[in-house]
Amino acid sequence: MAQLKISNLSKTYPNGVKALDDVSLEINNGMFGLLGPNGAGKSSLMRTLASLQEADSGSAFLNDLDILNNPKELRRTLGYLPQEFGVYPRITASQLLDHMAILKGVTNTKERKELVKYLLNKVNLYKQRDKSVKSFSGGMKQRVGIAQALIGDPQLIIVDEPTAGLDPGERNRFHNLLAEVGEEVIVILSTHIVDDVQELCTDMAIMNLGRIVYNGSPLTVLDDLAGMVWQRQIEKGELQEYEANFRVISNKMVAGKPQIHVLSESNPGEGFVGVQPNLEDVFFAKIGVSETVTS
Amino acid sequence: MFKIFFLKELGDAFKRPMVYIFMFVIALLVFFAVVSDSVQIGGSVGNVNRNAPYIITTFVTVMSIFGLLIAAAFFNNAALRDYSHNFNEILFSSPINKGGYFFGRFFGALILACMPLIGVFIGMLVGSWAGVLFGWVEAKDIGPFYLETFVNNFLLFILPNMFLAGAITFALANKFKSTVISFIGVIVVMVGYIISGTLLSDIENQTIAALSDPFGTRAYTVVTQYFTPVEKNTLSPMLEGLLLQNRLIYVSIGIAILLLSYFTFSFAEKQSSKKKTEKVKKESNTSFSLPVIHQVFNTNTAWQQFRSFFRVDFISIVKSTTFRILFFFTLVMIMGELSQGFEYFGLQSYPVTYKMVDVIAGNASIFVIIIIVFFSGELVWRDRENKISEVIDASPFNSLPSLFAKTLALFCVTLSLYVFGVLIGVVYQLIQGYSNIEFGVYFGAFFYQYLALYAVTSAMLVFIQVVVNNKYLGYFVSVLYLFLIDLILLFLKVDSNLLSIGSTPTMIYSDMNGFGPASEAVLWFNVNWILFGVLLLMISGLLLKRGQVGGRKETWAIAKRNFKGTFAKSFYIVLVLWLAVVSFVFYNIHVLNKTPSSDAREKLAADYEKNYKKYQKIAQPKLLTANYEIDIFPEKRDVIANVAVSLINTTDQAIDSLHFTVDKNWNHKIDIVGSELVLNDEKIGYQIYRLSKSMMPGDTLLASVSAAYISKGFENEVSNTSVIRNGTFLNNFQILPGLGYSEGGELGDNDTRKKYDLPDKERTPKLIADCGPACDNNYLTDGKSDWVELETVISTSSDQIAIAPGSLIEEWEKDGRKYFRYSVDHPSQNFYAFISADYQVAKRDWNGISLEVYYDDKHEVNVEKMLDALQKSMKYYTENFGPYYHKQARIIEFPRYATFAQAFPGTMPYSEAFGFIINLENEDKNNVVDAVIAHEMGHQWWAHQEVSANMQGGTMLTESFSEYSSLMVMSEETSPLKMKDFVKYDMNRYLSGRSSETVKELPLYKVENQGYIHYGKGSVILYALQDYIGKEKVNNALRNFLDEYRYSTPYPTSLDFLRYLEPEVPDSLKYLIDDWFKEITLYDNRLTNASVETLASGKFKVTMDIVAYKIKADTVGNETRVDLNDWIDIGIYADAEESDLILEKRVKFKESNFQLTFEVDRQPLKAAIDPRRILIERVYTDNVKRLEE
Repeated sequence: MAQLKISNLSKTYPNGVKALDDVSLEINNGMFGLLGPNGAGKSSLMRTLASLQEADSGSAFLNDLDILNNPKELRRTLGYLPQEFGVYPRITASQLLDHMAILKGVTNTKERKELVKYLLNKVNLYKQRDKSVKSFSGGMKQRVGIAQALIGDPQLIIVDEPTAGLDPGERNRFHNLLAEVGEEVIVILSTHIVDDVQELCTDMAIMNLGRIVYNGSPLTVLDDLAGMVWQRQIEKGELQEYEANFRVISNKMVAGKPQIHVLSESNPGEGFVGVQPNLEDVFFAKIGVSETVTS
Repeated sequence: MFKIFFLKELGDAFKRPMVYIFMFVIALLVFFAVVSDSVQIGGSVGNVNRNAPYIITTFVTVMSIFGLLIAAAFFNNAALRDYSHNFNEILFSSPINKGGYFFGRFFGALILACMPLIGVFIGMLVGSWAGVLFGWVEAKDIGPFYLETFVNNFLLFILPNMFLAGAITFALANKFKSTVISFIGVIVVMVGYIISGTLLSDIENQTIAALSDPFGTRAYTVVTQYFTPVEKNTLSPMLEGLLLQNRLIYVSIGIAILLLSYFTFSFAEKQSSKKKTEKVKKESNTSFSLPVIHQVFNTNTAWQQFRSFFRVDFISIVKSTTFRILFFFTLVMIMGELSQGFEYFGLQSYPVTYKMVDVIAGNASIFVIIIIVFFSGELVWRDRENKISEVIDASPFNSLPSLFAKTLALFCVTLSLYVFGVLIGVVYQLIQGYSNIEFGVYFGAFFYQYLALYAVTSAMLVFIQVVVNNKYLGYFVSVLYLFLIDLILLFLKVDSNLLSIGSTPTMIYSDMNGFGPASEAVLWFNVNWILFGVLLLMISGLLLKRGQVGGRKETWAIAKRNFKGTFAKSFYIVLVLWLAVVSFVFYNIHVLNKTPSSDAREKLAADYEKNYKKYQKIAQPKLLTANYEIDIFPEKRDVIANVAVSLINTTDQAIDSLHFTVDKNWNHKIDIVGSELVLNDEKIGYQIYRLSKSMMPGDTLLASVSAAYISKGFENEVSNTSVIRNGTFLNNFQILPGLGYSEGGELGDNDTRKKYDLPDKERTPKLIADCGPACDNNYLTDGKSDWVELETVISTSSDQIAIAPGSLIEEWEKDGRKYFRYSVDHPSQNFYAFISADYQVAKRDWNGISLEVYYDDKHEVNVEKMLDALQKSMKYYTENFGPYYHKQARIIEFPRYATFAQAFPGTMPYSEAFGFIINLENEDKNNVVDAVIAHEMGHQWWAHQEVSANMQGGTMLTESFSEYSSLMVMSEETSPLKMKDFVKYDMNRYLSGRSSETVKELPLYKVENQGYIHYGKGSVILYALQDYIGKEKVNNALRNFLDEYRYSTPYPTSLDFLRYLEPEVPDSLKYLIDDWFKEITLYDNRLTNASVETLASGKFKVTMDIVAYKIKADTVGNETRVDLNDWIDIGIYADAEESDLILEKRVKFKESNFQLTFEVDRQPLKAAIDPRRILIERVYTDNVKRLEE
């Protein structure tokens, strides 16, 4: 059983922006989803946990290891796939993974070669192992990324916005890969795509403006909102009127017309239908911002 | 539309720093070139102003090379910017006009590309103004600026050169859409430049060379090659002649390329060729199971990680296109220089290994610098630029091995460049048929001289990139560090090699003496720099940002946190080691072997003069005999000498005290019986001994002197190449202190003298007719001695031969050392050397005289030819000038720390670099070995049997006569027409020398030790004279003159020689003596028209239209035309090669414009004025014409 305990982590950038504001979390084995809009502070938190950024105050313990003050030890058991994962030019997939494996301490050449082959096969890139990584498509590069994150049986895997830019097929493949990762491992999946968390995670937190606004299981949070979400399709010009009168938590285009979800203890009125809350509703509710989702 | 793109291009670029940075760097370089002598860009010499139009133009043309690379960058950018930012599809689908876009971009970039070279003007203007203001430059060295110079330079060089470079780059970039290929185009242009340089070094193909230079530099050089200082100071480059032709050619080429590119340019994208879809191999479904792996984190891991980083970094450099281009370019430069050969006098030297090393290192060095600067940034920023840094930085490795790996990768890149250079060198040697490949020398040179430098520079550049933490700012700092620090140190006149990172004492490799006396010092310096580099890298490791976003404070905090444990321990160990080495080096170079700075030495010389010049004219005795006992210890580099001398009072006064100038380096001690040391100035080195009994006129006195040179430790720069392991070469004036006050110890340069409030010094005492006591001093010994008797006992280690002047009387061994006794056969001038080395000896007897060559066993190839040369000269001189009074004539090889040959009585030392390795296999060609040996042999008569008084015109009687004698020996085996090839080198020496004159030119009979006059002009005039009056007459004059002055005092002047010459010259030609000896005369003959007509008789009538001027010049080059009444030769050739003379006639030229007709029997092809080119004329090409029908 592995546990990551984050206590009162704070970080303010020199320009005054509070990236992390007293963040506290307790994360156990399995997939943990960190949900939040762009600029919420997710990447700052990820980078701090990955030993790439200093925190102003607070602490984080992986089991008994104080990870903020012992970056070297942490790195030995860390797998990290950052938001922007680029690759060297003129190097093949095998060569890159081989280099990463050496960096992660797999010094036995035979073991390393086996490992590289295994990983490439696992992410379904074995056939392309001798091709230049620079020529890979976005999805293939991400797979290389996850392959390197898996080197060395890490106890803590941090994956930051991994499916942004992937087509549906690639996204599914990626989810399957992640799901296969061992049960004894902590995987933190940071994303702004609500569906990803819904599909994969057993535990989650919602973050906004550097603060944790919700922490719990995706299912219980739905219970919180049960019976409080009402849906209605409206005309284009009516949005402002509704926003003024009701607590609109989201508004989506469906077949060309806006469809709003409203949070209310009871039925707000004519034309509103009660719906089962989904994670997206929770997300917008907690964030408290009404977003326009247009195509 | 054109305006839009044009202005946009300009506007964008002016906002970016590149233009300003380049302009600034060029301006800075020119500023330093104007203000100090630290930067040489072909700068001003002597009477040429530091800001002369000639200098400004030279700077512009030289800087054009850098300008080229800059231009390539700008034009490339202009052409490809839209593509590289992926904007092209948007832009090209808008309704823009093709012409507007194309030419707008081009001309915008053109203006930009011209900007950096404007930096030359800025540097020149600011430098001249500031230089005078702050006193760095004499006001008299700055002349007026002419607007014409700036305008013409811009229009003639800057604009056309950038236009051509731009057209090529732009065209290539648009066609191939690739940065790489357009840079290659630039390289091709630069190669064209090199080739034209090759052609120019042999002065035949000048017109072709001038026209084949795309930058116009060579054309300008040809046009100005014989300019006097006055012309250089006033004439701006003009759009005429060769320069105009050259510019027209290349601008036209540029326009053609540009138009071609425009018409083939299209907005539509070419279908990029699809790569063949590779068949995906059907692989059997192998199943993989999760392997058992172990993560290990110990030193072995760090080592493996280091290796992996190194491999990845090194390969990334090697595979990059930029590297490949630079690499290729370096090799091209090396091959280019090698193909020029190592020429002197039209001959090639054998491609010995050390010459190869010089070429490789010389050409590689600038590119090595560019490569490691560029890639230091690339490597340090690579992870971040490829967006893989977060993944890498989050892995468990130590920063230090990764930085070491980067440094090692940079270093290995430089090593690989060098290795390839070596390969080319070896191939070149083999092609030339030279099989003595000395890998030890190739790699020894690299190990000693470049290893530490490249290693610590790589470390330093990585350090800079890490600390500065901004790639482009890091580049800027790197460039500053590499170039400006050294310039600033030079400017401040700081000498120590410890202050310039990577610097080591200069090392010259000699076949005789290997890596030389500097090798020990260099080793220690190398250790010092490598330890320093390690320290830098360790500090970088602490400061390297791994992922963190924070600022300096955060980096410091992390660094402090990580400074613990084994890292801290190792750091302290390295620090202590380094401090120990640095102290040891410092002790050796600044304590044990303190070298006074050049300023300190200047002050000493000034003080010497201020305190002791008053003793210059007091009566002092002369040296009469000297008995030397010299012990040389080559392995230790020590010399101990004891000399018993006798002095004689040749004055008519009593001498009550003896004055000496002593040399601290030699620990002179003087012992005179019955004397008392009354003044001992240890700092300056002046001693006065009062005699208890005065020397009366005619008295002699005995004294003994001891001298010791003991070397200790090692030096910052080798100060003494006289005493070395193999090839010790001592002059007598090092061993003996100077008698009395020595004018040679004064400051020579008048500008320097002014600094110390010393009056101007005459270069040479004025020539006077009845010289009286002034003629008791000759210019070699300046009154300290006349004809001296010498005996020497000299010892050295048992594997060497020691040589002293005179015949070898006895030879013996004692205590494992060899001893030799020599005695001079005839009293001679007190000007000789003692030499010791491991020699092979070749001897030949000629009429009882032993002709000998002492040489290093690696340099045997030309020894027989040298003996032949000795014999030929000996024969000619004894037949024509008089007997030879020594029983031996020796040629002795000495190491290449100096490149000269010299004549002492009976002995001629000859540098190893200067004849021993010249390729004489093709005997058709001019034989410089013969010429130089004949010259030095000539000195045995002209300088060692007769030597001139210390006066103007003195060197004519020694150098001119010897050079003339050498030409005469050559002429014994060469036709008069072929002699033209020999004479032209002396002619050229004179003509180009006069335009570098620093003080004033003088007529031959008043020459003030100016090489271009006494070697160049003197020999040409005497040779021409014998052509006019016959060689017997000239030789008569010489012989009779020698009869009077042989081995006697008082010493002769040039007037005395002219006394003997005048009777030999017929009245009709007496004007030649005035014109040629007493004045500066130049001819300007032009064959304006030449035609031939076949006569009815079957003969041919040749008609020549001639324009002729005779010019007299003054000392600074102002010229006046005078009336002609001279005999000048006319020649008519039957062949194009000008070797078959049908007719040669001496004709009197009485007017400036006239016509001549001749009748000849055979079909003539060409006509010439002065066919054998014996008259001094600046432009000879207009003397010869093909005959028109």
